[in-house]
Amino acid sequence: MSRKLTVVAAMAILVASMGLKVAVAAHSDLTPVASVGSAPPPKEPWRVGSAPPPREPWRTASVPSSPWK
Amino acid sequence: VPGTSAYVIWLLGALAEASVLVCSWRKGSLRKYLALNVYMLVCILVSAIRFCVLVSYGFGSREYAYCYYYSDVFLTIGLYFALTSLYAHVLEEMAAEKTIRLGAIVLLLGTAAFSFAIVMQSGPRIVGRFFVEVSQNLNFVGLVLTYVLWGAVFKLRETRTQLIQLVLSLGLYFSLVTASFALRNLYPPLHSVLQNLYPVIGCLFPLSWAYAFWRVPGDARLAPARLAVVPR
Repeated sequence: MSRKLTVVAAMAILVASMGLKVAVAAHSDLTPVASVGSAPPPKEPWRVGSAPPPREPWRTASVPSSPWK
Repeated sequence: VPGTSAYVIWLLGALAEASVLVCSWRKGSLRKYLALNVYMLVCILVSAIRFCVLVSYGFGSREYAYCYYYSDVFLTIGLYFALTSLYAHVLEEMAAEKTIRLGAIVLLLGTAAFSFAIVMQSGPRIVGRFFVEVSQNLNFVGLVLTYVLWGAVFKLRETRTQLIQLVLSLGLYFSLVTASFALRNLYPPLHSVLQNLYPVIGCLFPLSWAYAFWRVPGDARLAPARLAVVPR
């Protein structure tokens, strides 16, 4: 098998795999987790420990009363 | 926080992984299937590291999450190369080792590049997302590769029972993971149930390999089907 043919076969397998993934995950925006091993899976790292976003600073401060009042 | 059952499944999984090594060593297949055995050894070490991190930092900690997903990429790549070694076994008569190695590396780099392209569009914390994406994509690549290998086993009329059993186990494992993943996406209410299914599948997979090493002799061959006699 030539090198060119090997690379083409590898790319065909990649396209088939990603096509399968898109077909399987098309109906949801859930992050797929298909992990190896038997340890209990935690939340994804970017979802762990992220504090809830605070209110915008211009909404936190109380509005000063008008000087003529 | 994982319950007692999760810890029991985890322990059973680690024991199953150790049993693969023991069975393979006792039956003299340790060197023959070196990549599979090295992968199982790495699985045991990773389980130990994950447990230490879990005990030290807690289940909800960022440390455990990063340790879990980073080591997951490591294990998925290990399983990918173990699968490639099965290709080398099936195609050994064709002396295609170099071709297999080249194909494996090209496919791995292609998967990494594809994952990076996806992650670039998804927002902040690129590194963490990249590792999870690579791990998931490699699972799908592994599934397709296993089915291709299955086709090669049929086409080349492979008769080595142990090798066939190892390939079938791997195919079953990837198929189960993908099926549960698809169900999870189609029916989000089943998310928590299916999320707990992954460790059980991860526990059954090394058991099937241990069975293949223990019960099936290394030189066993499947009897070819009888030839049909066509009357003239």
